[in-house]
This record gives sequence, structure tokens and C-alpha cells, in this order.
Amino acid sequence: MENPGTSNMRLKGGAFEENILAIFDASETKDSQESRDDRVAFLSAVRASSIVSDYGTPPTSKMCKGVFHILRTGKSLELIMVSYQLLIEINKRFPRVFFPKEDKSKPGSYPSSELVVVEEAWSPIVVSVDNASTFNQATGKQSGDPFDPSSFYCLIDELAEMLSKTKSQASDVKLLQNMLVFQYLVTAFEGDFFPHKATMDWNIERKSLLNVFLGSRKTNYKALMKNCLTVFCQLSQLKNELDEYIVCEEIAESSLSKNCLNSLSIALVEVGKNTCTSMEKFMVMIMELDLSRNKADLAGHTTRADGFRIPLVEIILDELTYNEDMVPQFLQIFTEPKWKLEIVVQYLWKYIPKPSVRTRRANVSTEDETFSAALKCFSNKATTKSTIKKIDSDIVQFLLAHGFQAQLSLALSEGHSEDKIACHEEERLSALVDICQSVISAFDCLRNTDEHIEILSVGKEALFTAATIISMKS
Amino acid sequence: MIDMDDPLDFEREDQLLKVPSINKKRKKVIGLDDLLNDHLIEQNKLKEQQSKKAKARKDNHEDDDECGNEAMLSKIVEKCEKQMNELGGEEEISHWGVPAFGDQKAFPHLGFSELESCNLLQSFMNNKLNAVVELASEKGDMFLEGLLINGWLPKLVFFGNHVEKSVASWAFNTMLYSTKEELQTCACDFWCAILSSTKEDGQLTVKIDWFPNYKDLRRALDIYGFLFNFSSSAETMETDSSRGPPQSISAWVRFVTACFLIRSQKAIFSAAEAEEMVEIFICLFLDRQLQGLWMLLNDCMQAAVNFFTDQEWSSSCENIAKFIACRVSKDLNCIQAVECISEVSSRCKQLRSAVAYESLLPCFDGVISGEEIFRSLTAINLKDKSCDLFKMYIYLVLLENWILSNPVYDNDPVLYEMFCLYLKNCSCLISSTDLRFYASKIRNRAAYLLHFFIQT
Repeated sequence: MENPGTSNMRLKGGAFEENILAIFDASETKDSQESRDDRVAFLSAVRASSIVSDYGTPPTSKMCKGVFHILRTGKSLELIMVSYQLLIEINKRFPRVFFPKEDKSKPGSYPSSELVVVEEAWSPIVVSVDNASTFNQATGKQSGDPFDPSSFYCLIDELAEMLSKTKSQASDVKLLQNMLVFQYLVTAFEGDFFPHKATMDWNIERKSLLNVFLGSRKTNYKALMKNCLTVFCQLSQLKNELDEYIVCEEIAESSLSKNCLNSLSIALVEVGKNTCTSMEKFMVMIMELDLSRNKADLAGHTTRADGFRIPLVEIILDELTYNEDMVPQFLQIFTEPKWKLEIVVQYLWKYIPKPSVRTRRANVSTEDETFSAALKCFSNKATTKSTIKKIDSDIVQFLLAHGFQAQLSLALSEGHSEDKIACHEEERLSALVDICQSVISAFDCLRNTDEHIEILSVGKEALFTAATIISMKS
Repeated sequence: MIDMDDPLDFEREDQLLKVPSINKKRKKVIGLDDLLNDHLIEQNKLKEQQSKKAKARKDNHEDDDECGNEAMLSKIVEKCEKQMNELGGEEEISHWGVPAFGDQKAFPHLGFSELESCNLLQSFMNNKLNAVVELASEKGDMFLEGLLINGWLPKLVFFGNHVEKSVASWAFNTMLYSTKEELQTCACDFWCAILSSTKEDGQLTVKIDWFPNYKDLRRALDIYGFLFNFSSSAETMETDSSRGPPQSISAWVRFVTACFLIRSQKAIFSAAEAEEMVEIFICLFLDRQLQGLWMLLNDCMQAAVNFFTDQEWSSSCENIAKFIACRVSKDLNCIQAVECISEVSSRCKQLRSAVAYESLLPCFDGVISGEEIFRSLTAINLKDKSCDLFKMYIYLVLLENWILSNPVYDNDPVLYEMFCLYLKNCSCLISSTDLRFYASKIRNRAAYLLHFFIQT
């Protein structure tokens, strides 16, 4: 609320917090309707005191905890949505980690000395082992408490479980709640990770919440990531399953009115989509962390204290290899081009026979294991033949098509961001046309090698795109 | 994990010990059925308790004493019930919420009739690769769907820097009327991408041959069943109807948001049309079925108010406020209509304040200025038993939003003083023991406002 007569305004710290919290406490003891009203009043009081006024003060830890508690326990759609929105706004307005002189329009690197971490600010994620665990074991966790690695693991596990049986969960706000909690946690990770990363200094970056969190012994990192991947793929199916549920007859027996069900299903679909995006962001963040770590490792900046963690790309590749059905779905929903390309390229190179006897070593191999090099291998009938003996030719088509698409996205973003100097532009164009031609000849080669191959629709679309771009650009 | 809403074991027991008067206070917002149920439950509990006691003291207590106790207790309970009913009967529980959508109409057919003129597909037909791709005229729409879902269409368009009319309008219709959610989303992403991509000189990167206009968007709402003669006064919440917006309403909202953001490149709406849009958004906010889209709607509202030029804004803001004020009934709905406008930008605050003010004005006969509103309000005796406290609560919230959301009133000491005085009245004249419905709400709210926003 904009305060009339700003000079008049005095927010009396302690008393202020107590009064707001009193509304919250009151909501805990009353019956449903009145409690709902009080909770709404509490949320708007927190909002008024922190976000709305130009002179707002960051909400205290207890207030944040209260809002988070409402997000996790609220029974009505209204309470859940309002508390989620408030938490996101608080995050945006009062970041926990930031650069005071940051220019939002220009992302770039900043000297690590300028990084500010507000240690006392509340965070929904906690890694410190000591106080949290002893307390939790004794009394059970409180819903307003921050997530530690093991409760985060449980959250993902619960999400995977719930998504696998949407039908029984569709009428429950719990799924919605868990998805929003996850989204909020990802926002919190991002708010912490990106400023840390912008220092380009591993000594700083290793202190980021994400790195410490993933390194925690309290969780099984590999299992967590596998679950994340499952949730990611399940989310894209959410809408179809909900539709089935809505039309099925069980509805008559449902205690909820159709109106209520409709509002919940609209919310679930919308939130499901955003959760899918959040999951992708979460995975990309971890891959970026892996990359920084790898760089630091090569430069000799890592120590034994950094421990060891399997890079996420490898976990994803393993999952996709053992679970080939997942490949088309994963490639379709994962959109971030840089990492998509990386995954495709590594997947392909696992199966493309190495041209020479040269042994593969970690630091040499990456140089020529690129997408265009992979495409070249598919111009050779012999290598193509031995490759499709190892991978299903359908999977090869998906990999080639999506790799091509990721390459196009990267070419587009380069073309937009960099200053277009004429000769560079020409180079770029010819490289682009080259890629398109290689894609076409790779598919040709596939067809020549295996007469029974059926070109999938995604393959046809890739060919169409390649041919059209060639005719546009030449 | 412990569910915080469930009472703990000892709390459940506590309910038995509660004094009737506290119970009265707590339950007064509950409907009659609940009251009766609660009463029956409590009666049972009391009986159980008594029989337990009776067992314990079986040896040395006469039966008629027990009977006497029981009779007395049930008398008390009956009396309480009567009182509760009297109190509860005065008001019904009210929620905000107005259905904004009625029955959906038939969605238009989604053919792609203009394939012959679609250059993108036609130019490929003669390519020798078509032996593999097997693109045929009659399957053009299926092929385009594939290009869209698998993400090729945006790439093609951005490399060619051009969207032809047939593709643009096909994507638009697919976004709004496809029954497949995946297609809706992809088409919406596609449109938002081409609308939001700009060159250094601020112009759109992609040359778009066809833009939908306001009518097209309005027609979509009409087909979704949107009630353009929206009014909350006569309508009652229909709890069990299948009516409601289709899922594609979220694509509609996202698309409109993108349109608002590109006024300098392409004005898709006129100022008057944009006003109507803002009015529609407020109606959407009032529909409980769309609560899951609040984040989207907020963004859209934000984009919408920034669409107006400074000259347009002052009159547009007033028009919108007047429209909303006369359509939304003076109950919790008008509070929701005010509070749904977020306060993140100064224009939103201004609109919020204006809607609150315009909603207040018609509540008092012949009143035309802010000061007169206060005069009429102070004339109402809050202590009077016949005073409608529910109305007073609505007035208080509207007042608060009118005065506090608008920085203009910073410089109006007269209004500000009057507001303070009124708040003091509310918090002092209503005693804490006042059991009337909404009495404590008014009192608490006024006290809270006094405490936090005004130096005492």
C-alpha cells in the first residue's frame, strides 16, 4: 500500500512483525472458513508490508515461513496460488544473493568481491546438517520449514508417485501444491546459483546452494536425478491423463462439484506446464554446474573437498540408453539447445565406430566429437551400417532430427545476438547450408543402407526444414 | 509430515471443555446445517462423557442425580442451539465468485483451406526430396501440425524472417480452437515468439502478413461461452454445471498479453478496445474457475495497463473503473474486483484506487465527492443494532484501497485526516465483545490499518 504522507510512516519493526504473525497464529486455531479468511488477511498483510510499498522492508523469517506453510498446507486453490505468487515476488524483490551494481539488461561476469549474500535472509532450502536433522528426527518436520536434501528427495519421489497415478490424484490439491513448491525451490536455487556463477570463480561457485546441496550425503544424488527425469517425462503426459479422468464416469461419485474439478484441472494443466519448464531449468543448472566444475578441475582449482559427482549428462545418457522408449519423448520436451545438442552428440558418439585406433581420452575426444562430425559419419555406408546395428534406426532418426534442430536454434541465437559483420555472416550462412546438406545426405544414407527403413514424421519434417532453408539461403 | 490443519489430539479433547459462549462466537459464520451437526456431535460427546463419569462414580451416586444433570445439560445445549441459530440465521456464508462463462458454442472447423496459397508448403512440392517426405496437398494441415509440435515451424519462420498469411491465421485458429492441448500450447508459443522478437531498431524481426484483430479475439471468447453482459448482481453460483471456460483460455490470455506488449511495433487494439480487454480481465479474475491462471492474468493486466499512452490513461482508467463499479455487486465480489488488480506498478495502483472509488460512490445517494462519502459514513452509527456491518466492512475495504493505493492522496491532508478519523471510529466504537457478524473483522482491520499506516 502506498503510504500517505511518507514521512509520517514508521514501521515499528518488532511490534509490526508480531501483529502480522498474530493474524497467522489466529488462523491456525480456528475452523475452516474463518481460518481461510485469516490466512488471506495474513498474506495480504505480508504483501502490503514488503512488496507493495516503495519503502517496504523484507519480510522476516517467521513471516516467510508462515507464507511457505500456507503454500504447503493450504486447502483452497486461492490460498495456494496467492501464497505461491507472494513467495515468488518476495524472491524477486529481495534477492538473497546479488550484485549491487548489476545491470539487469546485460548479463555478464562480475568480480567475486562484489557478490553480496544476505546470510540472515530466509531461504526455503537449507543444507546445514547439524540443527536441522536433530530437530527433525525428534519432532517431525514443520510445513513451514525449509527443505533439506532428504526432504527434497521425498518431494520429487512423491511427485513421481502422484504423477504415475493421476486419476486418483486429480481431485486433490496436493499434486498442485507439490508442483508449485518444486517451482518455488527451483526459483530459489536459480536466484542463488546464477550470481555465484557470474563470478566465474570456482572458489565462489562451489559455495553455491546447489553445489552444496547436491554434494550432501543425505541424499542419493543419482536416484534423485533419475526421479527428476521421470517426473520431467511424466509431466508432459499430465494433460492427456487429466482429460481421460474428466470424461470418465467416476466423476459422479466425486465429492467435488464439476465446477471445482474444472478449476482444478485448468490449474493443474497450467502449473504442470510450468513445472516441466522448471524441471528443465533445474537440470540445465546442474549441467552448467558440472561444466564449471570440469573447467575448474582442468585448471587445477578443485580440491579433494569438492568430492565427486557423476555429471548429469551421463546420468541422462544412461537412462536414455536403458530406456529407449524415453528418447523421443525426452527430446521433444527438452528444448534448451546447447545441452540438447550435447546429449544428442554424446549419445551418437557412444555408438559411432571410432575411425582410427586412437584411444579415447577424456580431454582429446571432445574436440572432434561434434554434431557435424557425427553427420559426416552417416555419409559413409559402412559406418552407418555398423551404427544402426547398435541403435535402433528410429532412435537414430530422432537423434539426428533433434540434433539438427538444436543446431538451428544455436545458429539463430548467434545470428541475433552478435553484431553482424558481413564476412562472418557469410561464413555462418555457408556453415548453416552445410549442416542442412549433411542432414539430408545422412538421411539418404540411412535409406540406402537399410531398404526397409521407414522415415518417421520427425525425420520428414527435418528433411523439409533442411531443404527449405537451403532454398531460402542459396 | 504432520498436517497442520488437523487439530492435535489434545485440541480435540479441548472442544469438550469449551464454554458455550466461545462456541457461539466461533461458529457464527457457519451455515445452519453445520450448526446442527456440530450440536448433535457435541451432544453425543457430552453423553459419552457423562456415561464415562457415571461408570466411574457408579458406586456412590444415585441415578436420579445423574438424570437431573443430564436434563440440565441438554437444556443448556438446546438454549445454545437456539441462540446459535438466531445468530447464524442472520447472515449466510458468502464467497466471492461470479461465473464468467456460460455454455460453450461449437468450435469452428479447423481446416487449412488456404494450402494452395501457402508458399512454404507449395515450394517444397517439386523438390526431389518430396519422394521421401510425401507431402501432399490434402495432408497439408497434418504436416503443418507436425512442424508446429516438433518445433520446426518457428525455426523456418525465423530463418526466412517471414510468416505468410495462411500460416499465421492457421496457427492463430489452432491456438484458440484446437482440441489438443499440445497444439494450443505450441501454436501459442509460436505466436508469442514471433510477436516478441524485435530487431535493434525496435521493429519486429519477422514480417507477419496477417494479424488477428480485436474482433477475432472477442469472437473466440464468445465461442468459449464468455458472458459479455457480465453482471454479478443477479447471478448465483451454480455449483453443479459443466459450463466453464475451455483449457485454451490460457493460450488466449498469453496471446493477448503478447499483443499488448508490442504497441509501438503493431497496435492490434485501439485504446477503447484495450479498455474493454482490461474489463474482461477483471471479470476473469472474478471467476473462481480461473484461479489457477492468476499468475498469467496478472502479467496480462500489467501489460494491459502499460499499453495506454499517458494521455489516454487517465480517462481510460476512469472508464474501466466506472464499468466495473456498475457491473459488480456491492458484496465480496467488489472487494475481489479491487484486490485482483495487483499493486506492482503505479498505474495498477491508480486503477485499483479508481475502481474502489467508483464502487463507493453509488453506495450513497446523491454523493459526488470523496469528502461527502466520509460525511455519509460518519453519519452511520456503528453501535446501532440495525446497522448493516457487512456493508460497513465492504465500505471499509473499499475506502482503504481508494485512499491508500493512490499516491495522489498523499497530498490531500483533508481526505487523509477524515480517513484516520473514520478508522478510529471503527476501532473504538465497535467493542471487542460485539458478537455481530463482521464486527470483529471491521474492528481488526481498522485497528491494523491505524497501527501500520498511520502514525498514532
